[in-house]
Amino acid sequence: MNTQLNLKRGIRTTLFTLMVILFMIVILLPIYYIFLTAFAPSGKLFTVPLTYFPRSLAIARFQDIFGALPIARYMLNSTLLATFSTILALTVSLLAAYAIARLDFPGANLVMIGLLASSMLPGTATVIPLFQMFQTLKLMDTLHGLLILYGSALLPITTWVLVSFLRQVPVEIEDAAKVDGASFFPLLWRIVLPVIRPGIATMFLINFIIGWNEFFTPLIFARGAGVKVITMALSEAQVIGARSEFDVSWGNMSAVAILTTIPVFIITLIFQRQIVEGITSGVFK
Amino acid sequence: MFSRQNLSTRRILLAWLLVTPVVLWRLLTSVYPFLRTFYISFFDNSPVRRTFDFVGLDNYMALTRDANVDATLTFTLFFTVTSVALQVVLGLAIAELLNQRFKMRNFTRAVNLLPWAMAPIVIATAARWIFHQDYGLINDIIWRLSGERPLWLVNFTTARFAVTITDVWKNTAFLAVIFLSGLQGIPLELYEAAKIDGADGVRSYWYVTLPLLMPLIISMIIFTAIFRVLTFEIVYALTNGGPGTATSLLSYLVYLEGFRVLNFGYASAIAMLLFFIVLVVGVVGYGFLRRAWERL
Repeated sequence: MNTQLNLKRGIRTTLFTLMVILFMIVILLPIYYIFLTAFAPSGKLFTVPLTYFPRSLAIARFQDIFGALPIARYMLNSTLLATFSTILALTVSLLAAYAIARLDFPGANLVMIGLLASSMLPGTATVIPLFQMFQTLKLMDTLHGLLILYGSALLPITTWVLVSFLRQVPVEIEDAAKVDGASFFPLLWRIVLPVIRPGIATMFLINFIIGWNEFFTPLIFARGAGVKVITMALSEAQVIGARSEFDVSWGNMSAVAILTTIPVFIITLIFQRQIVEGITSGVFK
Repeated sequence: MFSRQNLSTRRILLAWLLVTPVVLWRLLTSVYPFLRTFYISFFDNSPVRRTFDFVGLDNYMALTRDANVDATLTFTLFFTVTSVALQVVLGLAIAELLNQRFKMRNFTRAVNLLPWAMAPIVIATAARWIFHQDYGLINDIIWRLSGERPLWLVNFTTARFAVTITDVWKNTAFLAVIFLSGLQGIPLELYEAAKIDGADGVRSYWYVTLPLLMPLIISMIIFTAIFRVLTFEIVYALTNGGPGTATSLLSYLVYLEGFRVLNFGYASAIAMLLFFIVLVVGVVGYGFLRRAWERL
């Protein structure tokens, strides 16, 4: 009886462990494969069957892409756009979120619903007029033009999440500060900000990742090398030294993929818990 | 009395002052361009031919005759249904997996997030290499198991599955995180009560977990379905909508028509069709959601 129970439990544990391993393989193997491709010595890229444990790795692909493309510039642009769009969006969203969560005013609900509805408008349903506007206003191929669009995309969710964070924080501290005669901006800066710092940090991480990963917006609005971003280098790297349109360099593409992915992986692995909290607070509260 | 009213007016003024940047920013970059798209969709507008002529419903009539639009709608339906179904089922399974106690659980949860954190365009571009007939990872595994090397991106059906699989790989993590959080919100007492009634394992999942998660599952189905309809990068980089138009999606069609053919009027009509579909999915989904809440 007892051994039978133990056996049953043993089988269940083994099955469960196998599931976890299978899950890890499905997620990690494709990433590992791109890593292998990026670091494969030339001539070792195309082998049948594939070599999963290569004897040697090479950094030639990275030298190639840094030599042929302004990769550093692209990465700088990605960093600038992701960072400043995040800061801008967080700043104005915090102001709006404070008004919605704390200052009981007519129209607060309308603003919340309006933001949600506007976030449902597909980017492809706004891109053509924006393209025309940007041409008229000479915002094409400028970082500040891109910043306007990057930031805009972040506003609805950021405001919603900050409102939900603010609503969880008791108002008494702020009321006490108000009685002491603190005026609005010092109140926001010294009392509110420290309390919802976790929420701000979480949204900073998530928005940075979204901005860093952006592709459609720069594809349409950034055409000059000076404003291009790292995600656009994927297709450019494929044709370095290509002799025809079918001559695709998978090694170079993989090298760019690795460069694009490393920053977001570092952020995700370090701040896993904060990111999960941010994702779920947008849905549940 | 007068001063209190004064105070409340000041508060309302301050509130509107504070929401103005966000509201104005969204109005100028989202609401106005959207209305303008609607307006342009009634014009023959092309920067190449330098036209801006009112044509009434011509662009919409052209939609009904366009074989590309037909093919695109077919794939949109296939892609949305298949991908959402797979993501919801796998998302629930992964959430259950990550909710158990085991060594390295935190690490496994972090690994789950990696596809979510990666740029869609990176995954889509890399997927072309992973689905490569001769040297791709997938065919290497299939070849070791069966000796076959399917032509993933050349055949209609396999290309459609390649797009779907890539999308599922990228986006299931998000649902798993949401569902995991939903699972953690279910009070343990309910499981104990179910156990006393003789239900455990599969039955308690069926009778306790699923009904309680149902509103969350339905709202995630709506959300996920809308984003499937809007998908752009995967099709752009993995298949270019091909072979032929087998894997074309509406966002991709808007991009082609608007920024390759430079036919702004017609592209705007396609964009409005896209918006209409999103609206229908949202409204129908919301109806289901309300019924699920009422049943709870």
